[in-house]
Amino acid sequence: MVRMDRNDHETIQAVLSGDKEAYGALVVRHSHSLFRVAFRITGNEADADDVVQEAFLRGYRKLEGFESRANFGTWIYRIAVHCALDKVKHRRGGETSRVGDANDPELDQLQVADRSAGPERILLSGEIGSMQETALHGLTATERTAFILRHMEDRTTVEIGAALGIEPNAAKQAVFRAVQKLRRRLAPLRVAT
Amino acid sequence: MKHLTEEEMIEHAYGESDNIVAVERHFASCPQCAEGFADLEHDLTGVSRLNAPPRDAHYGERVWGSIAPSLPLYAHQKQRFAWFSMNAGWAKGLGYAAACALLMAGAFYAGRQWEHSKRPSMAQVEHKNPPVKQPVVVVVLDEHLDRSERFLVQLKHADVDLSEMAQPMRDEARSLLAANKVCQQKAAKSDDPELNTALEHLDTLLAQAANSPGGLNTQSISKLQQEMNSDGLLFEVRVLRSRIDDHKKDGSNTAKGGTI
Ligand SMILES: [Zn+2]
Repeated sequence: MVRMDRNDHETIQAVLSGDKEAYGALVVRHSHSLFRVAFRITGNEADADDVVQEAFLRGYRKLEGFESRANFGTWIYRIAVHCALDKVKHRRGGETSRVGDANDPELDQLQVADRSAGPERILLSGEIGSMQETALHGLTATERTAFILRHMEDRTTVEIGAALGIEPNAAKQAVFRAVQKLRRRLAPLRVAT
Repeated sequence: MKHLTEEEMIEHAYGESDNIVAVERHFASCPQCAEGFADLEHDLTGVSRLNAPPRDAHYGERVWGSIAPSLPLYAHQKQRFAWFSMNAGWAKGLGYAAACALLMAGAFYAGRQWEHSKRPSMAQVEHKNPPVKQPVVVVVLDEHLDRSERFLVQLKHADVDLSEMAQPMRDEARSLLAANKVCQQKAAKSDDPELNTALEHLDTLLAQAANSPGGLNTQSISKLQQEMNSDGLLFEVRVLRSRIDDHKKDGSNTAKGGTI
């Protein structure tokens, strides 16, 4: 039975003192928000479940380095974003990128060009969700993630930069590029509707 | 105020404009920018927030149930991360696996040692414990697990282009099986059940893949995926790999909390 009556910091102290089961409370408390962001980034339920597990595993092993002033929810969220971005890059390029490569511009270039269907194909696909998904696929992994964190997760550019391991200004530029590309790609829909 | 750029409009749309009042005032006096901004807002509103499929109230408990068995206690943390010490825990297990990986890297390592012996004696005095040992071991073990991971990922998606993949996959399984056997022998002497279980699981699956009668086909691949739970094994391998990643990072970078 997972014990839920302690706050995050008390729970972390308990874990570090050898009470492994206490970590379960942190998992229960934060797993839904991690799943949500993981799903949005990976666009895939099974991958999102993997990301949640990986994030909590990594979080557990890094727990000693967690500063008591920090917010565990924010910290584990960032780890999940890293894991999810890593998974997307891995899946897209088939390259063996790891979390540390999150802001590697060269890897961003490895996106698969033919994923980004032309506007005609978007229109023909006949379903708003898949059109949007197709348009999102036209972005690099970093642009896509930055946009998702900004547009869907309501994170500030400072938070996005921290989550992606890049400067806030680079995060802002990634959001700009994402919006510009999406608008161009979705423009035919605006005319059609 | 000049007309707003698209970037300034995007910034404003997300509430991060440096001067919200000035921007609003400009819109009031500039139909062109006001219209451009309305278009942008319309476009952004049109991008849905991709709502995640629901997870029930017990989701967190299930996640915990799936990872808990692979987590060690924290009381012995210091010992566990002492990779090459002989303490209990996964470091010991990985130490053995690393040692067996070292055997595989024997020729390479011997070459490095030979080079060391040829260096001027001053260098030997300065490097009583050449730092080259540890990275070689870690990298080679990581490579073995990396190859295993890639093989399992391939297996996961093996229902397409099967005819082209069947032969290379079986060859890779045979090669991996040989490497895995060495690791397994060494790891058997450790008391790390997780490492042993993963290698044993890998051994069974690789043996099946390497020796499928008539080579790999849809049926044998499906058997590996389902009966042998290759996805579960993939997860186990990733867990081991992430430990190595962490170890490598911990070795080179002692970042503290608040960052990753
Ligand atoms: Zn204007």
